[in-house]
Amino acid sequence: MSLFTLQDVTVAYQKQAILQDFNLSIGEGELVSLLGPSGCGKTTTLRLIAGFLQSKQGKFLFREKDYTKVPVNKRNFGFVFQNYALFPHMTVFDNVAFGLRQRKVSKASIKDRVLRVLDIVSLKGFEERFPAALSGGQKQRVAIARALVIEPDLLLFDEPLSNLDANLRVNMRVEIRRIQQELGITTVYVSHDQEECFSISDKVAIMNKGIIEQLSDPATIYRQPKTKFVADFIGFKNFIQFDSRRQESDGIAATVQGITLYVQQQDNTAGLVGAIRPDDLRLYALDAAPMTVENAVQGKVLISTYLGRSYQYEVQTSIGRFTVNDDAAAAPLANGQDIVLEIPKKQIVLVD
Amino acid sequence: MRNYYKYLLILPGVLFLTIFMLVPIGMTIISTFFPNEAAADTSNYASLFRDSYFLEILWTTLRVSILTTIICMVLGFPAAYFIARMSAKMKAVLLILTIFPLLTSPVVRSFSWMVIIGRNGLVNEALMGIGIIQEPLEILYTPTAVIIGLVHLFLPLTIITLVGVMESIESDLLTAAASLGASRIGVFAKVVLPLCVPGLVIGGILVFVGSFTAYTTPALLGGQQRVLSTLLYQNANTLNDWHMASILAAIMIVVTLIVITCMNLLANKLNPRR
Repeated sequence: MSLFTLQDVTVAYQKQAILQDFNLSIGEGELVSLLGPSGCGKTTTLRLIAGFLQSKQGKFLFREKDYTKVPVNKRNFGFVFQNYALFPHMTVFDNVAFGLRQRKVSKASIKDRVLRVLDIVSLKGFEERFPAALSGGQKQRVAIARALVIEPDLLLFDEPLSNLDANLRVNMRVEIRRIQQELGITTVYVSHDQEECFSISDKVAIMNKGIIEQLSDPATIYRQPKTKFVADFIGFKNFIQFDSRRQESDGIAATVQGITLYVQQQDNTAGLVGAIRPDDLRLYALDAAPMTVENAVQGKVLISTYLGRSYQYEVQTSIGRFTVNDDAAAAPLANGQDIVLEIPKKQIVLVD
Repeated sequence: MRNYYKYLLILPGVLFLTIFMLVPIGMTIISTFFPNEAAADTSNYASLFRDSYFLEILWTTLRVSILTTIICMVLGFPAAYFIARMSAKMKAVLLILTIFPLLTSPVVRSFSWMVIIGRNGLVNEALMGIGIIQEPLEILYTPTAVIIGLVHLFLPLTIITLVGVMESIESDLLTAAASLGASRIGVFAKVVLPLCVPGLVIGGILVFVGSFTAYTTPALLGGQQRVLSTLLYQNANTLNDWHMASILAAIMIVVTLIVITCMNLLANKLNPRR
């Protein structure tokens, strides 16, 4: 059962629609990430859920109740900001206690709950510090504690880790996932970092220009992107525009410029675009290629780049240009060398 | 060694202020205790603080300055809040409008107030015209007139100071407070107001000290009603009593320092931070 639903929502900023007839539904206890390039509408969606923005049209249902017109301060959602937004004139304790004081919780109970949540985010002993005396990671944990202590019905994160350095980012995201699972709070998490989203989410929504291109669990998105945008976004750098496809007994035969490539059976799409990652292509020097290579095309090396662990080649073939990562490469291929490119059947994904 | 060079940078300023401000002020204050170049004598101070004429003027000056400060804060705060939340373009326009009155001299502005609030001025003509009052109001040449003139003088300063402080309040702080359950009033009282305290203190000091020492406005709009600065001027220039003038100057300096210290203490109490 879904906890909340956005129904045909439209949000516009200065006459330009950011979200148009937008739909999203999230289940109880899930951590769902909104992932996409900047300007795709992910932060707008989050702020709409939080109630910071009003939609022009559409409905926001929460536990089957209409929340569209419920003001921010009556929603009981916890929001964690990118820049932490801690109150600079209050101690850590007062920052965390802020939400409870608004709710007229008794003094003893406030102290109890604040100390307990500070323990959860490993900040015991920091109660009397002011935000100015905290590091970035500590500030972020105060911000999380402040959002958690009100026992929110929904937890919202707006790129919470983007101001932290790389090591801390990895630690914090593990921490966020741990806390979220321990407390079982439904969470919406916005980020533009793919690895971050994939590592902590139950489901990821890939957004582009105000629409959700795909909403699935991370593994499905990684293996079975639905659209060309999603495929491109998660690292399928090579695309083949097929002219036609036909069903065979053991898979799909797709044709481009008279060359037929075999693709593993895929039932969920009628797409004519084949996508494949640079790591999944195989490259042979023309004279060293094995005799029976399925899905092979001939071509030439244009540019070879040394990446440390592997070589990256740009190759030109009769069906287009490809980027190939080749880590075998005992003897690297030279620019201009004739090659055979193998496009493994199992690795091609057909997308819309 | 290298570290000492940076102090050279403040040397010109320190020298200038020492020679032309600290030394003369110090000498003035010291001289008040030696009326006849003989032994120290505080009887002048003692008799002054028993003099009801002086005490009345001191009280009027304090009352006018404090009221001016409060009125400037009350009028300036909402205006500054409004301006600080405008778009950059609109903000520039409004700020220029705000400082526009500063481009005319206090003398000109005081004379225009005479035209407006005088016995046969605009305000009285209008009020009598629509029959709200029968007799003209006596506003000009009262402390009220001085307060009106001073508020006009210092409101732009208040607004500019407050806008500066309010601009530095991140809007996310306000949304954060709201998302934690604070109502509009709660957000204002718990977040906006405390974070504005530095601006209120700086603005308050500027307005208070400015009003306390203002000369032109009380001289032109106050009529027979003296304040400390006009009393000082009268002693120095009309009565040629430079000793009394020095004593008044010393009192004004001390009162100013006391007020600044109190306001800073208050600020630290209201806005601790670290």
